[in-house]
Amino acid sequence: MTNKAKLQNLIQDVFLLTSEEFRFDLKRSEVETWDSFGVVSMAVGVQQTFGYHFTPEEATSIQGVDDIIKVLTSKGMAFD
Amino acid sequence: MILLHEQNVHHDPSRLSTAWAESETFALLPEKLSVSEEWLEQSLNLVPRELHRDHFIMLTSGTTGQPKLIVGNRARSEKLVHVLHDRQDSELVQETISMLPLSYTYSFVNQWLWSHVMQRRFITTHGLADPKSLKASLQAACDAMICLVGVQVPLLMTHLAGERFEGVIRVHFAGGRFPQEKMDDLRAMFPNAQVFNNYGCAEAMPRLTIRSAEEASEAANIGHPLCGIEMRSDDHHAILFRSPYGAVGVVEAMKFTAITPNDWIPSGDLGEMNDDGSWRLLGRASEVFKRHGEKVSLAALTTTVSAAWSGQCAFYREADRTGEDGCVLVLAPEATNDAIKPVLMALRKHHPRAQWPLRIENVPTLPLLPNGKTDVRALPSLANKSTLWQQHI
Repeated sequence: MTNKAKLQNLIQDVFLLTSEEFRFDLKRSEVETWDSFGVVSMAVGVQQTFGYHFTPEEATSIQGVDDIIKVLTSKGMAFD
Repeated sequence: MILLHEQNVHHDPSRLSTAWAESETFALLPEKLSVSEEWLEQSLNLVPRELHRDHFIMLTSGTTGQPKLIVGNRARSEKLVHVLHDRQDSELVQETISMLPLSYTYSFVNQWLWSHVMQRRFITTHGLADPKSLKASLQAACDAMICLVGVQVPLLMTHLAGERFEGVIRVHFAGGRFPQEKMDDLRAMFPNAQVFNNYGCAEAMPRLTIRSAEEASEAANIGHPLCGIEMRSDDHHAILFRSPYGAVGVVEAMKFTAITPNDWIPSGDLGEMNDDGSWRLLGRASEVFKRHGEKVSLAALTTTVSAAWSGQCAFYREADRTGEDGCVLVLAPEATNDAIKPVLMALRKHHPRAQWPLRIENVPTLPLLPNGKTDVRALPSLANKSTLWQQHI
């Protein structure tokens, strides 16, 4: 499974989104369930799925799926 | 004191009639004893001598509680039968088909004792343990009453799918959540039946309230108290009752406690009275907790899940890795990850994240107690379960 597919599954699981609702340019403001507990859950999910632990600053600054990709890409992971 | 074993009574219900006619108190014991012979003997010895005549004793374990002996008074229970007969509009009913163990106070009072007092036919079956035989009994039904627990409905719809049983004219539910969302299926299967939601507990021996399916639209509504029964809730919403038909004593943890007419007895549920005097359940006292400061009601979650899932569902409590209280949802029968999407969407729509289960597990079938209720204590250690979804915590 590609990193993109893993990330899509993770985001859908964490925020209870359907595949139709998911987009890679989805913003936090568009997702009702992307609340403070959702941020924590997303960070734990990223750590469990990709092995990278967001710093608190990174976790709170993420405003959309593309921001997650940017951080993970900067750590050497490919999302092509 | 006479000991009656369910397996013997099932084959020959006249043994119960004989025991009821004699003055010596008898104990009706389930086929599978959840207690040791020693526990039983010691507990029975704690029943005061003055209750050794004209009473009867049932053994109950509940879904999460400790085993206890409940002592009922025969005259009180016969009075309750007459009250139920009127409130359940049972004059037209000519027979009752037993689908639950008789050691369950619901089945014992609402079916066997009713048939005995009202002189109607009592028909035993092995319930859903033998669907073929049950189907034959239901097809042969003639103005019959059946008593079910809600968790049996998915099984009924699976084993007897597409069947119509026109001879069943009363369908009662008790002993768990009322399957309000399954009414269309039930009406298709029992087209001539009035359906009732009955509420009570073993200490009530067993009935406190009743309503017809049409009287309310939400499963949590349990209707009005029966004539003569008083109900109130305390500051924590625990339901308390006083009943002229209720048990007169309980043996629990090697101690006999008499129940007097002045005692307010907890039913074990949380609830509140509606403006019209009917009552609404908020959950079991043990099934409401807080997670991240948010109140979580397993009853409310069950309502949500049941509307999105046609199979069986149950919850058990578990703390997450941070020590925060949570719950795990168990679904049956076996399903794919895609099949639970409606459940996840329903959780998202109706509940904040703090109320979502920690994970969703899947088993072929839920473990049941002899009384037909889900064996909640067995859920955490089931060997054949898979995880369909989980929160990242």
